[in-house]
Amino acid sequence: MASYKKRALAVVAAASMAVSLAACGGGGSSSNQASDGGTLYYYVFKPYEHMDPQRTYLGVQMSNFTRMNYRALVSFPIATDPKEASTPTADLATDAGTASNGSKTWKFTVKDGVKWEDGKAITCEDFKYGASRVFATDVITGGPSYILSYLDVPAGKDGLPSYKGPYKKTGQAAFDKAITCDGKTITYNFKKPWPDFNLAIAALHMMDPYRQDKDKGDKSNYTVFSNGPYKLEGGVWNKEKGGTFVRNDQYDPKTDDKKIREANPDKIIFQVGNPTETIYDRIIADAGNDKFAVTSQSLPPSYYSQIQGEVADRAVNVESPFVDYLSPNFLQMKDPKVREALKVSTDAESWITAGGGEKAYSPAESVVNPVTVGYEDNPAFSGPQSGDPDAAKKLLKEAGVSTPYPITFTYPSSETADKQAAALKQGWEKAGFKVTLDGLGDTYYDEINKKSNKADVVWAGWGSDWPSAITVTPPLFDGRPNGVTDPKVPTNGSDYGNYNSDAFNKLVDQAQNATSLDDQTKALQEADKVLGQDVAYIPLEITKFNFVHGSKVTDFENTPASAMYPDLGPIGVSK
Amino acid sequence: MSLQESQLESLESSSLADSAGNQAVAGLSPTKLAIRRFRKDRLSMVSFVVVALYILAALAAPFLVRLGVIDPFTFNNSEKYLDIAQGGIPHGAFGGMSLEHPLGLEPGTGRDVMSRLWYGITFSLTIALSATLIAVAIGTTMGIISGFSGGKTDAVVGRVIDLTLSFPQTLMLLALSGVMIGLLTEKLNVPAGDVANGLYVILVLAIFGWPSVARLIRGQVLSIREREFIDAARLLGASRRRLYFKEVLPNLWAPVLVSFTLTMPAYISAEAALSYLNVGIKPPTPTLGNILKSSISYSSADFAFFFFPAFLIAIIVVSFNLLGDGIRDALDPKADR
Repeated sequence: MASYKKRALAVVAAASMAVSLAACGGGGSSSNQASDGGTLYYYVFKPYEHMDPQRTYLGVQMSNFTRMNYRALVSFPIATDPKEASTPTADLATDAGTASNGSKTWKFTVKDGVKWEDGKAITCEDFKYGASRVFATDVITGGPSYILSYLDVPAGKDGLPSYKGPYKKTGQAAFDKAITCDGKTITYNFKKPWPDFNLAIAALHMMDPYRQDKDKGDKSNYTVFSNGPYKLEGGVWNKEKGGTFVRNDQYDPKTDDKKIREANPDKIIFQVGNPTETIYDRIIADAGNDKFAVTSQSLPPSYYSQIQGEVADRAVNVESPFVDYLSPNFLQMKDPKVREALKVSTDAESWITAGGGEKAYSPAESVVNPVTVGYEDNPAFSGPQSGDPDAAKKLLKEAGVSTPYPITFTYPSSETADKQAAALKQGWEKAGFKVTLDGLGDTYYDEINKKSNKADVVWAGWGSDWPSAITVTPPLFDGRPNGVTDPKVPTNGSDYGNYNSDAFNKLVDQAQNATSLDDQTKALQEADKVLGQDVAYIPLEITKFNFVHGSKVTDFENTPASAMYPDLGPIGVSK
Repeated sequence: MSLQESQLESLESSSLADSAGNQAVAGLSPTKLAIRRFRKDRLSMVSFVVVALYILAALAAPFLVRLGVIDPFTFNNSEKYLDIAQGGIPHGAFGGMSLEHPLGLEPGTGRDVMSRLWYGITFSLTIALSATLIAVAIGTTMGIISGFSGGKTDAVVGRVIDLTLSFPQTLMLLALSGVMIGLLTEKLNVPAGDVANGLYVILVLAIFGWPSVARLIRGQVLSIREREFIDAARLLGASRRRLYFKEVLPNLWAPVLVSFTLTMPAYISAEAALSYLNVGIKPPTPTLGNILKSSISYSSADFAFFFFPAFLIAIIVVSFNLLGDGIRDALDPKADR
């Protein structure tokens, strides 16, 4: 249940996002006085795939980088108020940036006195070089690629940008025109309007500066060359073990804003590899260094009953920015009536109970998270959460298919997911489907990524990349960039249901060319309705996070800027 | 176990004493002698009864499911059964034990634990039994051929055995599962799902299991082939096939039976271990392995739920091992241990 978070990311905000602290007196642990110094332990289960700023795409990791070692032109502040938390704040730049030419041109000025960990100043050229790396799609893989379609670089015959990155240098002249440096001022020129470009900078690390002399291409994947308050001891991350972040003596707090990072602990030690159960056995026991520990793993449902007494004071339960949903496969399940029947008979309530109940999930009525700007309930999914098998039966009869109608449901297997899948199976079978469950292992996304995949319905999860629905429905359901419309492409990108609709694509074009956020939002709301009518997806729930931290951890907050994971911005440890 | 052996010896000497006495002596075949020795050993008898019970349970489960006596699939996931706020742990002591659900309910879904375990025994034993049968059949045949022919054939079979034994089989199982199951369903028209997944485990366990049986049998054959009755059969012009299966094989049933009862428990635990690695029959179809897998994280929240599958696997594995030992002792009391 974690791999999807790989693509998903940072977030935003709404009132509902207010952190609900389980019996936690006085907001996290702010009752304890934040203090400088000490060592914080951070436990991670799965090895990180990248530490390179242009290659990370994991929400929790990007937020940690922002707070510790990779500063950007603008960053999101530490705030639980959704509005404040999604306002880009000047970081390495002197202000939040100025847009002109209908949001097709963005200008930023780099602050004076900002330095790399070796003492050299961060220049405009470093930002330009960082952005250029995203174009080397054969080397710099894994990260977000939005600027490929936005930046004003002419497309080649293959439809991809003619610029091939700083290693090959093909088309360098075109790139040099798209991003220009004038002293400390950097200018980005786009092909189409990008009204929320500074949100993207703050949420992702693709626009981060990168020092050309430190770039060894793929070999730099685990190298951390810091410009923030912490630097990685040794400079290279150990994939299997983690690493230790220590104070960066070249970092000048005067160039920074306490609203973005307080940098309280002297040291942050990352330990990779222990399974979730082990991590929580230790944190709940609260002995030794575990008193100073936090983790990005959410507490498994089998541990909920241990959150009592003293442990409850160290526990939080917050709604995450991630929505789980089902994608009917449009190459397999072609009859709209059958898809409608599938939707109507989906027992999301049993799915939620099997996955841990109300502590683990909230009901969802759209694939867009309610914390996203311009969210609206999708009327197509307002039916009962527990499904309506009788209505579904009727729909199957109208469709004229013979029942039981055989379908295969593919999902990433885990102890919890297996039970949840059985819950869906039971609901669907009441309506006249015959369900085969196909729980897959680590190869899950590789499998559902194939157009030849024979599953009738697949599971997926997503969170917005920055606080806009434009990073939700278009990347998930626009068949064109995902390769669904091109028969030569064997995969479907993130469009796991191989969905493509002209009506939807038109609204996406409208949203992507909108010059104001209001117009964009309106078009995206319409687009979501089209998806609902076609049953392009069936929302299951909004994931909730449950975290427990050590007793000596102070100012433990989950903010929209940290994708509701523990925010390293305000955190500290007491003695 | 030395005590046990001396007991057996005294048993033999007493029967000798009997024959020396005046009472009318009934001649006992070697089989009858073995059965008699086996029945004297209490531990073997207990394990035999346990194994028999498991097999009966396994045979009965599919009928009981069809008749609705046990129900491993229906959800009881309302607030009445589960404490939804605490992550769906069943209400009541010991994982929600009640008359209706003697071993409690599964957290999160409220499925009946006893029914799932009972039905799981069927699938686990079917897999272990099929894999054992295939492994022993191939192993015995290869062992006879290799031991009896000697020379080049023996060398070739010997190297194949070495090669197979040196493969990291768990790794192979994991790495090949996607491709092989695809092959089974697409090229051989095996129904996808439980049948294909189960068959895959059976085949791989058997393919990697036969060499140890073959080695054992080959050793036995080496001594048998030097006996007079083999020479006699040869002189009479018996065919190879006759020599293998009519002359040699009947003298091998003791080691075959022993390797059978000792391979079986290894495969029962292999099935459980493979479920943990996501290979094999998948939920919601229960097997002892995948039930155990789903229960591990509940070891502190709902101990009963974790305890029963682990307990059932431990019992069947120990019973089969003891049964194997007992059979070996009974058939060949002087065997070196």
